[in-house]
Amino acid sequence: MTDVILEKVGKTYPNGFHAIPSVDLSIEEGEFIVLVGPSGCGKSTLLRMVAGLESISTGELRIRGERMNDKEPADRDIAMVFQNYALYPHMTVYNNMAYGLKNRGMAKELIAEKVTDVATMLGLTELLQRKPRQLSGGQRQRVAMGRAMVRDPKVFLFDEPLSNLDAKLRVQMRVEIRQLQRKLGTTTLYVTHDQVEAMTLADRLVVLNKGKAEQIGTPMDLYNKPATPFVAAFIGSPSMNLLGANLTEQGIKVSDALTLPLSHRHRGSIVWGIRPEHLAVSDEQNADFALRIQAVESLGAETLIHGKIDTASGDGEPMVVRLSGPHLPDINSVMWLTAPAQHWHLFDAMTQQRL
Amino acid sequence: MIENRPWLTFTSHATLLLGIALVALPVWMALVASTHPASAFGVGHIPLWFGDAGAATWGAVLFDKAGNGVDVPVWFMMLNSLIMALGITFGKIAISLLSAYAIVFFRFPLRGFCFWIIFMTLMLPVEVRIVPTFEVVANLGLLNSYTGLTLPLIASATATFLFRQCFLSIPGELVEAARMDGAGPWRFFFDILLPLSRTNIAALFVILFIYGWNQYLWPLLITTDDAYYTLVMSIKRMLSVTDGDIAWNQIMATTLLAMLPPVAVVIGMQQLFVKGLVDSEK
Amino acid sequence: MTVTFPQKGLPWLLLLPQLLVTAVFFLWPAEQALEQAFYREDAFGLSREFVGLENFADLFSDPLYYQSLVTTLVFSFSVAIAGLSVALLLAVMADRIIRGKLAYQTLLIWPYAVAPALAGVLWWILFDPSMGPIALWLGAAGVEWNHYLDGNQAMILVVIASTWKQISYNFLFFLAGLQAVPRSLIEAAAIDGASPFKRFWTIVFPLLSPTTFFLLVVNLVYAFFETFGVIDATTKGGPGQSTTTLVYKVFDDGFVGLDLGGSAAQSVILMGIVGLMTVVQFRFIERKVQYS
Repeated sequence: MTDVILEKVGKTYPNGFHAIPSVDLSIEEGEFIVLVGPSGCGKSTLLRMVAGLESISTGELRIRGERMNDKEPADRDIAMVFQNYALYPHMTVYNNMAYGLKNRGMAKELIAEKVTDVATMLGLTELLQRKPRQLSGGQRQRVAMGRAMVRDPKVFLFDEPLSNLDAKLRVQMRVEIRQLQRKLGTTTLYVTHDQVEAMTLADRLVVLNKGKAEQIGTPMDLYNKPATPFVAAFIGSPSMNLLGANLTEQGIKVSDALTLPLSHRHRGSIVWGIRPEHLAVSDEQNADFALRIQAVESLGAETLIHGKIDTASGDGEPMVVRLSGPHLPDINSVMWLTAPAQHWHLFDAMTQQRL
Repeated sequence: MIENRPWLTFTSHATLLLGIALVALPVWMALVASTHPASAFGVGHIPLWFGDAGAATWGAVLFDKAGNGVDVPVWFMMLNSLIMALGITFGKIAISLLSAYAIVFFRFPLRGFCFWIIFMTLMLPVEVRIVPTFEVVANLGLLNSYTGLTLPLIASATATFLFRQCFLSIPGELVEAARMDGAGPWRFFFDILLPLSRTNIAALFVILFIYGWNQYLWPLLITTDDAYYTLVMSIKRMLSVTDGDIAWNQIMATTLLAMLPPVAVVIGMQQLFVKGLVDSEK
Repeated sequence: MTVTFPQKGLPWLLLLPQLLVTAVFFLWPAEQALEQAFYREDAFGLSREFVGLENFADLFSDPLYYQSLVTTLVFSFSVAIAGLSVALLLAVMADRIIRGKLAYQTLLIWPYAVAPALAGVLWWILFDPSMGPIALWLGAAGVEWNHYLDGNQAMILVVIASTWKQISYNFLFFLAGLQAVPRSLIEAAAIDGASPFKRFWTIVFPLLSPTTFFLLVVNLVYAFFETFGVIDATTKGGPGQSTTTLVYKVFDDGFVGLDLGGSAAQSVILMGIVGLMTVVQFRFIERKVQYS
């Protein structure tokens, strides 16, 4: 059953700025959708439009078939977890969680029951009488989630909820959020700029760029078949190597030093890409090209090698190679590499669409 | 401290003690004077050490009619002062909270204009436009009334600006969270905004209480009925007699009583007072 | 950008009390003053005629008005400079002290709470020519003190009483300013071999200049408008006109002299001065915000 539908939803600010031209998205019940993109891409604006904190300029938002455009945030049956948690500093944890229920006129006993249930689920029982300032970052985060959960809403909205936590806690909370969401089965819209977070949490991802949805799909769709160079560069770490090239009868001419054979009916400027993990070490005879090594980052389990395609003039295109295990090649030495054709990504340079 | 120079530390303490002594000197004199009978004050003579008429003077001042045309005792005028001070304080805080709330949390036409109207009151202290203000209050029939004593003084740009500043520092996400939790404007105001502003309110309370208690010119002008005399202004009426007849012991006791409540507030709530002073100048 | 509520009528309801009080007790009187400034009323208040700028012309040809202006300036700057110097000295001393700072602060700040009129009365008795101890000591030292007769002495009395009340305020702000001076700067100067005295004048005092300027403006405003009680309770503007400041003159001409047109014209001029001072103060505060 389709739960949330965004139909040609757009946002224009009073000063004329088109923050979001038009986004279409339909979300299934229980689905975990992550909106991801660089800062300023409009992902938070989109979320806040769903929340009712920003007005919708054009298009329509429907939740369970009901038009929501003009409804107050409190009447949309949604709950939101904010980046800075937005806990009421003068209220205890209990009252923070109970406030929304009280405002809805729920009976005291029922509120107590709900809050206790959620507190137990989140391990907050001991903290119910504390004020937010007496809590650690992770505990505050949990209270913010608890406040959303007691409402038992149709939709959860998360606005970069983990960005204020340290790296270790972030990983832990990420797992926890995913488990909770599975357990509760509540439709979720989650905003982040962190692509690792996006990949690990999402059923489906929406990659936003300048207010436009570049691609909507499962994490593996986006990794394997990015629709545009933007998505290709955004998903995956380190980023995909993307080089301007020319598609000719001989194949893909990346530079004077590198032409890759390919028969393709398309002609002209393209963007050729290959992920760092798909480049393979080879020998001089079988290699597609040589890389002049400039820097090596040893991470133990893997090694990242930064270099340039080796040319006489020394101005070849930069490339990153990701090898598993430790490697210690010399700086300035040459490394022979192959770029297997099944891992190529080709995009039209003009339309930026995948070929 | 970077270095420890005993003579410098000594000088510091000595200077401060001297400063405190000078600051306290007039109050000390007043205290001493209030313990002597009126007859102790004469040409070329004022007592410099405590006398034994203290209880009599203070008792007379507090409970007898103040004299010189003032037919109410000091305790009664203290009550009037308290009513006026609290009226001004609560009035100012209430209307400033509301107007700052409107200006910060709503968007409506002429918002900037309203802000400027309030700002203008900064440029129109009552002392400057005293005559026409008196006429307005007289026309409204508010002479000799508590309303007349308080209402004209409760519009306050300073308090409005202070609350505006305080409200602006409340994170927007908190407002959004409250809206998500189904809090409308009034619920938000009472459940979130007021509790979050309570230190600011308390600090302002201290400053405004002093302001209200110490009003002098305004009550002097609009009260001709003893029933509405406030203590600070009554000093002038008590002093307006021919030179030699001033009962200095009683005047001094009255003066001390008149300054006691605000001074007690400053000393007792020093932290809030300092905060209020600093905040209201931002 | 702050988050706002969508209601359109409610904000007007919220603003209503403030706007109403402002309109009735501020704008209306101000408008009345403006109007009266261009009229002259007969002694019984029965009729009035439009006289254009005549009230202002009279004012500016009246030597007493200029005298009052000079009195105001002398009074205000004396209060401001005396108050700032004493407070700065005390604040520097208090800043040096490690233990007992709060006790000293407590014992220095309470005069802020004393009403100006009461401050005037307290100092009056100390300087009373016939029995005030200070007046008697001065007499013994050969200085004949009688502020009832000597205009300069009357001025000194109101300056002392007004300054006494304001020291606490200046002290608090100077102390806060001093505590905001980074210790590392002073330590660096000490390592560079500057003596405590030199450190103060070359490092601390320049860094305090925003505070000092701010306090100068506040003190001038205070001396201009808030010292009415001091003057009224002690000298009543006298002897002669020697302590009649502009604000006192508005009151005196209006309520005692019953020259409503002249008083209104003075009100209008004063409003102009306050406006100017407010702008200066706000400009400065804008700058202060940028500093931090």
